Amino acid sequence: MPRSPNLTRADRIGYVVGGIALIVWALRRPSWSRALAASVGSWFLYQAYTGSNPMLKPLGIRVNREPAQPQLAETIVVEEAITISRPRAEVYAYFARPEHLPALADAEVDIARNVADQELAWRGLRGEKLAHFGSLSFRDAPGGRGTIVAAHLEYAPSGGSLGAALARVMGRSPQRLVADALRHARAILETGEAPSTSGQPSGLR
Amino acid sequence: MRALCWHDRHDVRVETVPEPKLINPRDAIVRVTLSAICGSDLHLYGGFVPGMVKGDILGHEFMGEVVEVGAAVKNLRAGERVVVPFPIACGNCFFCAKGLFSLCENSNPNAWMAEKLWGYSPCGIYGYSHLLGGYAGGQAEYVRVPYADVGPLKVPEELRDEQALFLSDILPTGYMAAENCAIERGDTIAVWGCGPVGLLAIASALLLGAERVIAIDRFAERLRLAALKLGAETIDYSEANVLEALKELTGGRGPDACIDAVGMEAHAYHNIAHAYDRVKQAMMLETDRPTALREAIMACRSGGTVSVAGVYGGWIDKFPAGALMNRSLTIRTGQTHVHRYLRPLLERITKGDIDPSFVITHRMPLDQAPAAYRMFRDKQDECIKVVLMP
Ligand SMILES: NC(=O)c1ccc[n+]([C@@H]2O[C@H](COP(=O)([O-])OP(=O)(O)OC[C@H]3O[C@@H](n4cnc5c(N)ncnc54)[C@H](O)[C@@H]3O)[C@@H](O)[C@H]2O)c1
Ligand SMILES: [Zn+2]
Ligand SMILES: [Zn+2]
Repeated sequence: MPRSPNLTRADRIGYVVGGIALIVWALRRPSWSRALAASVGSWFLYQAYTGSNPMLKPLGIRVNREPAQPQLAETIVVEEAITISRPRAEVYAYFARPEHLPALADAEVDIARNVADQELAWRGLRGEKLAHFGSLSFRDAPGGRGTIVAAHLEYAPSGGSLGAALARVMGRSPQRLVADALRHARAILETGEAPSTSGQPSGLR
Repeated sequence: MRALCWHDRHDVRVETVPEPKLINPRDAIVRVTLSAICGSDLHLYGGFVPGMVKGDILGHEFMGEVVEVGAAVKNLRAGERVVVPFPIACGNCFFCAKGLFSLCENSNPNAWMAEKLWGYSPCGIYGYSHLLGGYAGGQAEYVRVPYADVGPLKVPEELRDEQALFLSDILPTGYMAAENCAIERGDTIAVWGCGPVGLLAIASALLLGAERVIAIDRFAERLRLAALKLGAETIDYSEANVLEALKELTGGRGPDACIDAVGMEAHAYHNIAHAYDRVKQAMMLETDRPTALREAIMACRSGGTVSVAGVYGGWIDKFPAGALMNRSLTIRTGQTHVHRYLRPLLERITKGDIDPSFVITHRMPLDQAPAAYRMFRDKQDECIKVVLMP
């Protein structure tokens, strides 16, 4: 099975430049240590060729080279799902309010598709420009366990895959934002409030 | 108000902090009348649990008087005396509906942190690191109690604070540890650790019909309490080879179930394995020292159950997977689902079946909590359980 790509175009250009630089440097005055540099360089080239860095795989970075919205040349893909112990109509109604969609900040939400109790899709616009697009689909969880909400979001990469990987490790990525929005929704729908500690006392001065 | 704040490893201080306020409609504010220090607090004190922040208020075992309730709390009124379960649970989610309250999906605002470490997040817990929500704890004069319409249990007048306090954690924990052993007639249960959790697990195993209980520790005062108060047989692991002693005591077959009431800071004597674990733990190659858990698995009779009440935080090494698999052992564990034990155990206390206050050895003012932590950590002055009065 071909590896699913997790490097953006910018990353791959960087890998080619870096890989060639290492190999050239090694060939100018060959030695054992430089041979190591050359092999690292060729590994970079190989990754640029496959478009995939195996070390990013555990982080779940996924690049889509042919996004459904052709205004974006390539995107980073986020997928999250959550099960909410409430009827589908109620869960759908909550998300049907645009401010409840797990859209990325600083983009204006434009509803692109709206099928009651089944699907909501939106485009995140920055002025005229498309910054991200996403969708939520709703289905019944098996055994009467409520509703499964599956979120799919794609955004224009800035900072490349490595930027996305770093953001993910730091816990500040679009992935986290989507996951948190879904969790927030579940808490509101199931308990009537969102868990919070903001404003509680601490001995920190 | 005064509150006990975590500052660093082995550094806790009583400080003046603002009083807690209602944040959500289902909150209550409780004026704490009694709290306790738990073995779990020692894991935070020792710096073994990630996600602690300077200034965090500790304490997950507490009770007190309701002073204020949020608009959505209809079952509690100011002035009522309550004991509060240490897991923070919403009562509405998939897990709460199953009675698995310590797995509540909605109560941890920092679920993403726990997911990174453990795959999925369990419930939030008072004073138990930001990994589990960063909720301010109850070793303080006042505490905010979320989901106050499902957690707190009203305490009948005839019970003293000391009799009711341990419904917050260690009595249900000891009880669940014993319940997880699925005790049958004639069963022998071995319990590693005779701290408050181990002692209450012993008492619970006997309540649930165990024929014999064998208690393992190295502190004479703890073993004495297990033997004299509860009627357990004892093994001092600093002197005996535990595996051989257990084999002998159980007719060569091993205990029918083993309870680990020790957790990730287990201690071992004259033992290369212990040195190995300490070095690995210090180098962060292994987060937990699993001496007791390994021993419990090796000791358990084939087809038996290993019930793990002791807390683990990360990864362990040299896990005896072969013994577990080839001898059809069952492992049962978890942070205690305290809510589901509150009423039945309250009834046990009021009926006089059990009075968990027998574990208390020290009663101290909150202001002396830092000294109390040190004493409890070092097991000085025959300390078994400290309760704190604000
Ligand atoms: N599952 C839960 O919900 C839950 C709740 C409360 C406490 N706990 C955990 O239970 C454990 C015990 O708590 P505690 O308050 O009784 O603590 P404690 O520190 O008073 O007791 C631990 C005991 O274990 C003994 N011990 C250490 N190494 C041993 C070994 N190798 N073999 C046998 N005994 C050994 C110590 O001497 C000590 O007496 C802790 O890990 C705590 O975090 C779990
Ligand atoms: Zn505890
Ligand atoms: Zn819940």
